[in-house]
Amino acid sequence: MARMTRRQFLQASGVALAATSVAGCASGGGSPTATSTPADLAPNRKGRRVIVVGGGWGGATAAKYIRMQDPAIEVILLEPNTRFVSCPFSNLVLSGVRSIDTLTFGYDELRKRHGVKVMHEAATALEPDARRVRLARGFLTYDRLVVAPGIDFQTEQIDGLAEAGDRVLHAWKAGPQTVALAGQLKEMRDDGVFVMSIPPAAYRCPPGPYERACQVAWYLKTRKPRAKLIVLDANQNVISKPALFRAAWQAYPNLEYRASSKVVKVDPTAREVTTEFGDKVRYDVVNVIPPQRAAAIAVQADLVGIDKRWCEVNHVTYESVKAKDIHVVGDSTIGIPAPKSGTVANSMGKIAAIAVVNLLNGRPVPEMPPINTCYSWVSDSEAMAVVNAYRIENGKVVQIEQKLTPGQSALYAQHATAWATSIWADILA
Amino acid sequence: MRALLIVTAMVAAVAAAAPASAGPADTPGFTKAFSCSACHGGAGASRADAVPVLAGMPAWYFKKAIDDYASGRRPSPEMEPFSKMIRTLGVDDVAGYFAAQPRAASPVKLDGAAIGRGRTASSACASCHGADGRGDQAKGAPDLTGQPSGYLLNQMKLFKAEKRSPGDANLTAVKAVMKGIDDATLADLAAYYSSLGR
Repeated sequence: MARMTRRQFLQASGVALAATSVAGCASGGGSPTATSTPADLAPNRKGRRVIVVGGGWGGATAAKYIRMQDPAIEVILLEPNTRFVSCPFSNLVLSGVRSIDTLTFGYDELRKRHGVKVMHEAATALEPDARRVRLARGFLTYDRLVVAPGIDFQTEQIDGLAEAGDRVLHAWKAGPQTVALAGQLKEMRDDGVFVMSIPPAAYRCPPGPYERACQVAWYLKTRKPRAKLIVLDANQNVISKPALFRAAWQAYPNLEYRASSKVVKVDPTAREVTTEFGDKVRYDVVNVIPPQRAAAIAVQADLVGIDKRWCEVNHVTYESVKAKDIHVVGDSTIGIPAPKSGTVANSMGKIAAIAVVNLLNGRPVPEMPPINTCYSWVSDSEAMAVVNAYRIENGKVVQIEQKLTPGQSALYAQHATAWATSIWADILA
Repeated sequence: MRALLIVTAMVAAVAAAAPASAGPADTPGFTKAFSCSACHGGAGASRADAVPVLAGMPAWYFKKAIDDYASGRRPSPEMEPFSKMIRTLGVDDVAGYFAAQPRAASPVKLDGAAIGRGRTASSACASCHGADGRGDQAKGAPDLTGQPSGYLLNQMKLFKAEKRSPGDANLTAVKAVMKGIDDATLADLAAYYSSLGR
């Protein structure tokens, strides 16, 4: 198994950068950063190469599983962050039940055990016609591309949100904002009002906001019993596990849930949000989870549908319906009847890896359905779950069954922890 | 630590042996079984305390478990849908894949004193599960060795509370035994059987 350290890789790239002079690209696709002739950052390819854009739940899984199935394929994973921070379980950081460190992992095992070449750089553009990915300092060529960029926020849909900057947090990509929001909650005055807003579906992790409401309410109940949580949901009802969440909220009289209350404006100076019906709600701490779409790189490469939000894919290969040799996995996809969850992204990563390996080897692609398991923590010690199983029928993913746990329990919390332990390793180790 | 060394050695051996065109995962059943690793660990080698190890599980017991989950005889909101999915994919292939994986004992740490107490208390279990804990297909008794202690304890509590395989006449006797054992001793038994095969 050929292995290369990052330093070796960068050294090789540096040589390449100095030695090559590549003529302008064939693609008409945008090349937003380069003003001079871009350089091939990893020339001298000997075999087939797959580039994976994005090292989250779908992308990192795909990178690992491609290498597991065919170590002759070179896999380059482009991920600007040097550390992987799990969004699942990050609501527990808000309540202080977990620290962010327990959700944070490196990419070393992908390098050492699986020979994935991890580059902590951002892909800046995709050039499907030239089969190239652009980076700030040049480009990389590929035989097949896996795009797993996750989501971006449609900040422009809420008045004042862009201008608010760090004064209004989403904490919907686990990391510094999660820690910052936990700090704001802790610092809030004892009789304060915490307001959180839930965007219209579709968004990353359907049960996530309701789990967050549980965690904030649990924290307030135990630490600031005079404080209050107001949940402003753009949707007409709780969109995931509604009966289970509403039952869980019986324990939190400090939680006020308002359906059909889409937040359209935020004013951090007045500390006030406004809903589309003109209701104004004052806050001491606010958490606005903005509307979402596929990340910018997928939108700019026109992998998204007419709605300009999400990427439609083949249900068996995860190849984009709009671009050849480009597979899309994870939260940026739409059309498969599975939620935008971590388990689904991990599942898609494996299935796309199978497809990529078989297609590169000229073999038929086996039909594999994804799976879904979503655990939600309703307190510091109890969780509940929804599980979905699927099959492939006439080339499309269809659901076999959805099951909910009958309620919340410490046993399901144990299962949630077991799931996290296992799936983090499945992605990264 | 030993398990870690074994895993490391396995990875090294597989990596060294792998031809250029066939990955270590290019084994029969791998594709049908890989969804399971999200909870049960890579190749069924669970690292988690509450989820069982599938690596090296005899095919007869894997298939029984899938049948029981899918039919609802063994109630589990998490496993029932996936068992139905495994049936659509072909349970023999998935069972065969896990049975062919090297046994991998749980790496979850155990308390030495609990293991000792569990050994003393284990005589009641040995008549079905064997003195070595490896089980007996003829009696429908599974191999308990190396399973995570948390998983074993949870199952015994579910049996005791008549929540696992409720009403199953074949289990009436074993449930009666468990109802006579306090939870602390069940935890010791779990530690003991988890320690075997490590």
